[in-house]
Amino acid sequence: MTATMTAAVNDGLPPEVHALLNSADGAAFEQALDTMVRQREQHLFRALGVLARDLHGAVCRLGSDLANEGVPESMTDARNYLAEVLDMSSQAAHRSLDFVDRMRPEAEALSANAVAVLGHNNKADDPVAVLARQAQVFATGCAEGLNDMVLVQSWQDLAGQRVKKVVSFIESVESSLIELVRLTGALAGREAPVEVAKVSSQDEVDRLLSEFGF
Amino acid sequence: MKILVVDDFSTMRRIVRNLLVELGFSNPLIQEADDGNAALAMLKTNPFDMVVTDWNMPNMTGIELLQAIRAEPKLKSMPVLMVTAENNREQIIAAAQAGVNGYIVKPFTAITLKEKLDKIFERLAASGASA
Repeated sequence: MTATMTAAVNDGLPPEVHALLNSADGAAFEQALDTMVRQREQHLFRALGVLARDLHGAVCRLGSDLANEGVPESMTDARNYLAEVLDMSSQAAHRSLDFVDRMRPEAEALSANAVAVLGHNNKADDPVAVLARQAQVFATGCAEGLNDMVLVQSWQDLAGQRVKKVVSFIESVESSLIELVRLTGALAGREAPVEVAKVSSQDEVDRLLSEFGF
Repeated sequence: MKILVVDDFSTMRRIVRNLLVELGFSNPLIQEADDGNAALAMLKTNPFDMVVTDWNMPNMTGIELLQAIRAEPKLKSMPVLMVTAENNREQIIAAAQAGVNGYIVKPFTAITLKEKLDKIFERLAASGASA
């Protein structure tokens, strides 16, 4: 029975398990168990150490890649581009509304003139009356089209609200990146910078990033 | 009728103004504010008959403006129409609980605006008659 078990133990299990199973008494068993647990812990700590170094390396690379492209400038650029989009779209919408303001009185005047002409001459086949009727239909159609054009400009407000949401998303990515840099810097043994409760200005962002060489 | 149009987007203020004029309101009597704070200051110093406000604005949002109006004895009965892109259930309920008189989701049409305004004035006339 013992011989069979020893043969099985020798067959593939690690030596520390072998030592554990072949312990002569309770004390030897405890000692073998301690050794095994310590070895396991060392493996775990080594793996954690490798992970922490890899993470720090990755964050540093990310930070330096972004820095090479001009972070925090690239974040600022992104925000500025979006502000420009808002500005340009607003100008475009206002130009359309200016056009409506200019054309609406023209359409109303054309309609009024057509009505006045038809007041004098409303014969079915008289060319003047025919033209006046056509002008009235056209003026009415224009007025309706101009009203639709006003309403359609609300795209600028709706699109602008989404742009503003993207701006706030960029800000949250930026502060998360800074927090990540701070945490991994602390993990790598650098002294963590003084806690910054809220990074609100570009100057604060620049200062905090520069503490880590970004 | 003096109307205050509140929205942080100048385009939308202009569109609402345009629609109100189209519905027969007097253009010179329509005034604009670009957030709740500015609107509240104007409401406290000038007499207005109605407020048309957006929800999402910097400094003071539309719902905060509505709450401030309802909390101010001089202004609390002011009709407030909310015109907003916010269309989730909770926000509409919050506006109703804060005492909004009408709620329009952007984008909207002149017909919708007319319907909501008519409804507000009908209710006001009914409550005025019963008072």
